[in-house]
Amino acid sequence: MNYNNIKIGKGLLIIICLIWILGAKAQIVCADVEIVPNTSEHVDYVFDSFSKYIAGITYHGSAKVNVKVDDQAPPNPDCKWMLTMSVENNPSSGTGANQWETLSTYGAGSSSPAKIDILKVRVTNICNTSPIDGIYQNFIQTGDFIEIIENTGIRVNAGSCQKNVNGPGNYLINYDEFHFQIDFRIVPNFGFDPGVYQLQVKFALVEVP
Amino acid sequence: MKSRLLIFAVIALVMGLQNGLFAQLQDEKSVTITMDLQPILQLDMETADQIEFVFDDIKDYYAGITKYGATILKVSSTVSWDLYAVGRSNGTIGPEFWDQVIDYGSGSGTNAINQLPLSCVELHQSQPNSGAGGAGITATYIDYSTPYPASHVHNGANSLYVNNGTLTPPTVADKYIAGHSGTSALGDDAMPGGSYLTAGGYTSDFYYVVDYRLLPGLPAIFPNAFDADATTAEDLVTVNGPNSYAEPGVYTMYVQYVLVEDQ
Repeated sequence: MNYNNIKIGKGLLIIICLIWILGAKAQIVCADVEIVPNTSEHVDYVFDSFSKYIAGITYHGSAKVNVKVDDQAPPNPDCKWMLTMSVENNPSSGTGANQWETLSTYGAGSSSPAKIDILKVRVTNICNTSPIDGIYQNFIQTGDFIEIIENTGIRVNAGSCQKNVNGPGNYLINYDEFHFQIDFRIVPNFGFDPGVYQLQVKFALVEVP
Repeated sequence: MKSRLLIFAVIALVMGLQNGLFAQLQDEKSVTITMDLQPILQLDMETADQIEFVFDDIKDYYAGITKYGATILKVSSTVSWDLYAVGRSNGTIGPEFWDQVIDYGSGSGTNAINQLPLSCVELHQSQPNSGAGGAGITATYIDYSTPYPASHVHNGANSLYVNNGTLTPPTVADKYIAGHSGTSALGDDAMPGGSYLTAGGYTSDFYYVVDYRLLPGLPAIFPNAFDADATTAEDLVTVNGPNSYAEPGVYTMYVQYVLVEDQ
């Protein structure tokens, strides 16, 4: 074996070790994770009076997130999940990072497009399992995400009705912990260009080893 | 030896991938939110249907008649805005003159003039214009907040803006009640959106109490009538020559208040 072969061998061994480590970190630990249904929803806000501009409009339960996480057989004690929400404004259309996507504008004013932070989102479930349960959250710019159920590395089993329940279970059996109601509130106040705007809020359910 | 290592690496890679390298179960759901911000510009006005000025006493001619608080303007707007007043008539005498409804007497005197300029109406607003601080504003008087001058002092500080009988907005040289010509920035030539309902009521920039004054003078030449930029006098003598005076009669005109998105 010459010197070059030794070098190649060492390099390959390092790669092999990395592959094993990464493989171990990213392994599938649950049988299935699902948001039911996972079809997209649409919420329309129309601001056509002063009271709406000042007080805002709140739609309670305008979206619902039902979580279903199946354990492996035999059960895997590492099967855990996290739930996040993020915001997206279609930046490919040239939308500013902190603005709603403008679909059309009215008039010829000198104001600015609506800012993302006027959208407030509140997540609740019966057991208040989310660390942000009941508190309106807002995003600052596209791509921002907020953890509804955090990845703490510790598994909290379903049925315990505690903070951050993230073990296997589903909304049919553990409704109080696996069913999330989403409230949206928008308070535009004044100063934004009148027009039609759009924003997308994504809920992502991910298993975490 | 080299080929063995390569085979080992490939096997390890396959096993690593089988173990879920880069794989993670996940699911997503999207909620699309559409927001329709409809523009609202609302001007609430409290005023008498008609404001009458009756000059039947010499001192009324000398000192003029002032109607305090005759009009209250209350603004609510979701967009940046400007507010201005413009003098108008039906144009029976001319686009920039009062309409003469009745001509007293059997005939007109040699120097009696029935072309009373609309700009002889003097306004005074309770709050100064805080939306006209831009460098591009050249107006001698940016608004009508200057107190009425004494009856013997004549200037165009309060003379009503008139533009040939049209609604055309004032220019950078003319008066606005709030905001001004141009779209530079809030404070420079625009007022921010808001409402008198939430901005402090009568002390806010969304609430204006307007007084009216007519000062005929004696002889009745309306010495405080000035052009839109308040630099060119439009009193009857300046326009029609010496010894001119207002023909006795009943005249009407109207003041139109325009609330418009800043532009």
